[in-house]
Amino acid sequence: MESDAKVIPIHPSPYNLSRQAAEAQTVLDHIVDDFSDNPESMRYFYDLFRRVYCQGEELKHEGLLVGTTCIHAPEELIYAFGATPVRLCNGSYHYDQRGADFMPAKSCSLVKATLGMLNSETVIPKIGKPDMIVNPTTCDQKKKASAMMENMGYSVYDLELPSVKESEASRVYWQRSVRQFAERLRELTGRKLTRKNLKEAMAKTGRAQAAFRTLHNFRRQSPSLILGKDAFLVTNAYFFDDIGRWTAAVEKLNEELAQREKAGFKAVQSKAPRVLFTGSPPIFPNLKLPLLIEESGGVVVADETCSANRMLYDMTAVDEWLVNDMVDSLADKYLKPCTCPIFTRNDDRRRRLLDLVSSFNVDGVVYQAFAGCQVYEMEYRSVAEEFNKAGIPLLYVETDYSPDDKGQLSTRIEAFLESLKNRRKQRA
Amino acid sequence: MKASNTRLQAVRDAVNRVDLKNFRFWFQIVAFVLFVYGGYFAIDLGSRLPFFSCGYNDEGRAGICYLLPLQHQLSQPWPRLFSLASIAILTGFLTFTLWFIVLNKGWCGYICPLGTIQDWITALRRRIGIRYSTYSESQFEQLTKVKYLLLALMILIPLGVGGGLFSHDVSPPFCLICPARMVLPAFTGDVSQFTIDFSSKTAMVMTALGIAVTALFLVGSFVRKRFFCFFCPMSALHYLLSKPALLKLKKDGNKCTRCGDCYRVCDMGIKEIADDVTTVNIMTDDCTMCLKCVSSCPENGTLKATFAGIPIFESTEEGFIKRMGKGLQHGK
Repeated sequence: MESDAKVIPIHPSPYNLSRQAAEAQTVLDHIVDDFSDNPESMRYFYDLFRRVYCQGEELKHEGLLVGTTCIHAPEELIYAFGATPVRLCNGSYHYDQRGADFMPAKSCSLVKATLGMLNSETVIPKIGKPDMIVNPTTCDQKKKASAMMENMGYSVYDLELPSVKESEASRVYWQRSVRQFAERLRELTGRKLTRKNLKEAMAKTGRAQAAFRTLHNFRRQSPSLILGKDAFLVTNAYFFDDIGRWTAAVEKLNEELAQREKAGFKAVQSKAPRVLFTGSPPIFPNLKLPLLIEESGGVVVADETCSANRMLYDMTAVDEWLVNDMVDSLADKYLKPCTCPIFTRNDDRRRRLLDLVSSFNVDGVVYQAFAGCQVYEMEYRSVAEEFNKAGIPLLYVETDYSPDDKGQLSTRIEAFLESLKNRRKQRA
Repeated sequence: MKASNTRLQAVRDAVNRVDLKNFRFWFQIVAFVLFVYGGYFAIDLGSRLPFFSCGYNDEGRAGICYLLPLQHQLSQPWPRLFSLASIAILTGFLTFTLWFIVLNKGWCGYICPLGTIQDWITALRRRIGIRYSTYSESQFEQLTKVKYLLLALMILIPLGVGGGLFSHDVSPPFCLICPARMVLPAFTGDVSQFTIDFSSKTAMVMTALGIAVTALFLVGSFVRKRFFCFFCPMSALHYLLSKPALLKLKKDGNKCTRCGDCYRVCDMGIKEIADDVTTVNIMTDDCTMCLKCVSSCPENGTLKATFAGIPIFESTEEGFIKRMGKGLQHGK
């Protein structure tokens, strides 16, 4: 009987015809084709995203795979144990919708998208199943995501992060947390943490950070040598790309920028308003806001977000090159300079923003808050007050991964940029 | 004009890229040889020096630590102390101050032989691969006051001796318990200070205390970086006079990201160096002006050492990356 029943097989459609591939393709085409004068060496990154996000190419990695859900997970330790870190924070609207089942209606797109990705059959980037996910206990939504990821069948490690960063007690607590994390990695990988492998790992990250800093410094130039959409794409690639290849590609890009500088090249018009981007992190394909700014004639010259500057800027100092001291030094780097709004006070974030405004010759600031990302929403007031006092224009944008508000946002941004231009004219 | 400016900038850049660890290591050796063996070459820089060039190192010393004559002068009988002889105390103090203001606490981090010995003990520990320990915040806050207590005692006890309140056997009180009295002469082969004086009960207590403190000094500086400097009364005296000093440690709080790299490497564990973003003259009473903080600051111009207002060594991103890169390759 059964053998007679006719089963119509459902062929899974190829990845490149799927919704998330289409979403990525649209954004990438926009980034590449709608702007002229893209740096030649950006092709590495365009190709990378096309292969990984649009064609669903599999990512190879060395050793075990350790997923991280936040910049607070010390990648140097993961590398030292011969494993590969991959940042799971996701920027896809498709996954955002799929992750909506897990979280209340008004919650952060990033957390929902990450959960949606982890819960889907086709995880993109195609990294394979992480052997462990490190989930630093940062904001409430990420904290509660921990158990959900566990229920999906992942092995999750909660890396305990204090919510005060100024006190010595929290510093000591965090150092212990990081040491416990190293202990967990030792169990997972069966390897030992030695001075040699930790130094090698720190050298890898150090070289990447030095390359990032050079790129960051080139962006001080006015008129700009490179657009912010490209800079975001570069740092977004750091989430999943091989660190050595990534660094080499950024160094190449830096060489090109040095040539551009010498040749007096302008990536934008001299009068293009210079924008500092802060708040919830733009993660590919959700580069909606930076792209809107730049297609409206502005240029993002610097950022204060955890998908770019905050992830790579601050570097580790070590006094004694012994394993213990190196691990504690790493712990300090991941806690003390961090400007994440999950901490009780935000003095450092405000100071960092003011410093970026003055050192990058910024005309105005765009503050992105994902609807439901309470910590950024709550900090807006104090940041706005600070900028008001300093006379720096600020545009606050509450948005999410949905493309629906693009029209409305575009109008607001154009008006904001126009006002920045007028301001500059009046000053001149 | 312009050419000389760019040349000056080139020199500055080179200085800011310097491998401070190496520079300091050799500088300290030269200073150590000068002040512990300089006497053999008939070098005498007087007896008003603002660091532990120990007077008990009879043959080798190239000058004498001011604390020895100060305590002697203060223990004169009161009628003499309050006569014209007090002018000698004032001129002595003035000479000491003039020496001091040149280098500020830089004397501690670069010249003081007792400081150098502690750095050598630290290097030994590091080579063995044993980690250092630190004080907790509350211990730090309590212990940091000890140096002022010692300074007060170092002045009051000799005054008491001069007034006949205490026996002469407690004088000079600080020198009797100072580890330099035993450790530095030992470098010229003189171990006569490693004895307990049984001539009187007071002398016995003081010399025994001296040996105990020296033992504590050797063990302590193996466990904690610059263990003794934390309690040094000279360091307290320095701080009280530091306002007019020429060498200064300055911080531009606006550029500081409070990443804590400077605090991380600070031998003394001074938290303010990272957290305080309002004070410009950032040198605290515990500071030894070793300038490790400047060399490990990745932000351009955030920390700097200035001499008479002219920047001589500044934190730079380039210098930081170079020094840490070297540490990653060869660091121990």
